[in-house]
Amino acid sequence: MSRQLSIEQLLRWRLALAETEAPPAPRAARLLEAVRPWWELWPERFRAQAARLGRMQTAAFGYAMADPRLARTGHPVPALVVHSEELETFVRVLYFSVRGDRLRLRFHLDGVSARAEPGYEVTFVSDGAAVGAADARPLLAAAAEHSTDGEYRLDAALPDEIAGRWERLKVTDPMPFRLILRPTAAGAG
Amino acid sequence: MGDPEGPARPVDAPAPPATLTPHAAAPADARWTDTVAALERGDAAEARRLAADAFGGGEGTAAAWRAQVRDVASWPDAWLIAATRRDPPDEAALDALVGRYWKPLVGRCELLALDRQRAGDLAQETWYRVLRARRALEPNGNFPGYLMTIATNLWRDWNRAARRAGPMADDRVASIDAALPADDGDTLILADVLPDLDALHADEQAALRMDVDRALERLGPRSRDVLTARFLGGESCAEIGRRYGRTEQTASAWVRQAVREMKLYLGESPRVQPPEPGR
Repeated sequence: MSRQLSIEQLLRWRLALAETEAPPAPRAARLLEAVRPWWELWPERFRAQAARLGRMQTAAFGYAMADPRLARTGHPVPALVVHSEELETFVRVLYFSVRGDRLRLRFHLDGVSARAEPGYEVTFVSDGAAVGAADARPLLAAAAEHSTDGEYRLDAALPDEIAGRWERLKVTDPMPFRLILRPTAAGAG
Repeated sequence: MGDPEGPARPVDAPAPPATLTPHAAAPADARWTDTVAALERGDAAEARRLAADAFGGGEGTAAAWRAQVRDVASWPDAWLIAATRRDPPDEAALDALVGRYWKPLVGRCELLALDRQRAGDLAQETWYRVLRARRALEPNGNFPGYLMTIATNLWRDWNRAARRAGPMADDRVASIDAALPADDGDTLILADVLPDLDALHADEQAALRMDVDRALERLGPRSRDVLTARFLGGESCAEIGRRYGRTEQTASAWVRQAVREMKLYLGESPRVQPPEPGR
């Protein structure tokens, strides 16, 4: 006896085959190990980069404050771009909003003349680093995607204590963090 | 505009046991209330301790509650997710959550990627991304839907990267704005000359599977996504449209077009025959 099949039935049949042949689920311990933040995996590297970030003086980027195109945005935020080499630069925060536990950030990355990276993993480092303090600590890491012309967007969940502290920050306020930017392969990560 | 081929069913994920509806089913017992409160805020260790203390020596209902708390695989999603959100996450809860949705996730990934290895990679990367943002998980949200959204977005990222790689890319990537092919598939009605898909011999099954995969591959990524989202994920055309920044009507047209193309491609297979005249 023959019968008609819908595309849906055929897809469900194919899905059932795929599910049957799925490899075993990975263990939680392995998944958690794989997503450990880089500063836990390489603490020395983090300390060295945070120290370098801490030595950077915002005054060195004073020329940016004079740029009329950027006059209505905030203070420059020191940033260390980590390619094969490390590049000291700054980002200009164009939009900053914390609602609930969500941070939405848009920034312009200055001084990176090579082709724009499609994305960066952005590590926020406490601005204790500003005085070269040894207790500079990572606050969070999130993926930023390139939008246009040196601009990047980021949308991330904040830990409660940070969300509470950053809630009232305005884009024109000095930012309580510095940034380490590490390129991601496909603009996400 | 109505959706073609009737309403889609929701994602086939194993549902948590019906007995685990603590608010509705459990009597007002302070010990149980405290235990559930701990589970709802994700404090699995505290919940286990409370359950052991309160119901440790009990029998009957007390023993059943103790067993529920101990048997993490039977927890509803909300408890597992709450325990996964915490720092550090409860590994037993995370194991149960991954296990509950792993096969459906890999299955859907395979229908998108059409490659078992890539499907496994995609599913794994999906979990990495979920765990990196685990504090933002909504315990009472649609978790399987969220997982598939992450997987689909990742897969689209991969395709974008492949497109950037140009002619060296190994995937055929259709533009979102690509013109729809001519509407010449409606006349073919997919028919199966075999009695039952589940009763196919192994070689017939393998051949049909190859035909389905080839047809899906010829669809291109976007059509594959909308087809699987509509019929396997239960997404409405409005939801699919929103994901792509298009109207419900456009998404509905994409689904219809994808169905027509699938029928057309499958109709070229000697194993899947169009109906004889008069049938």
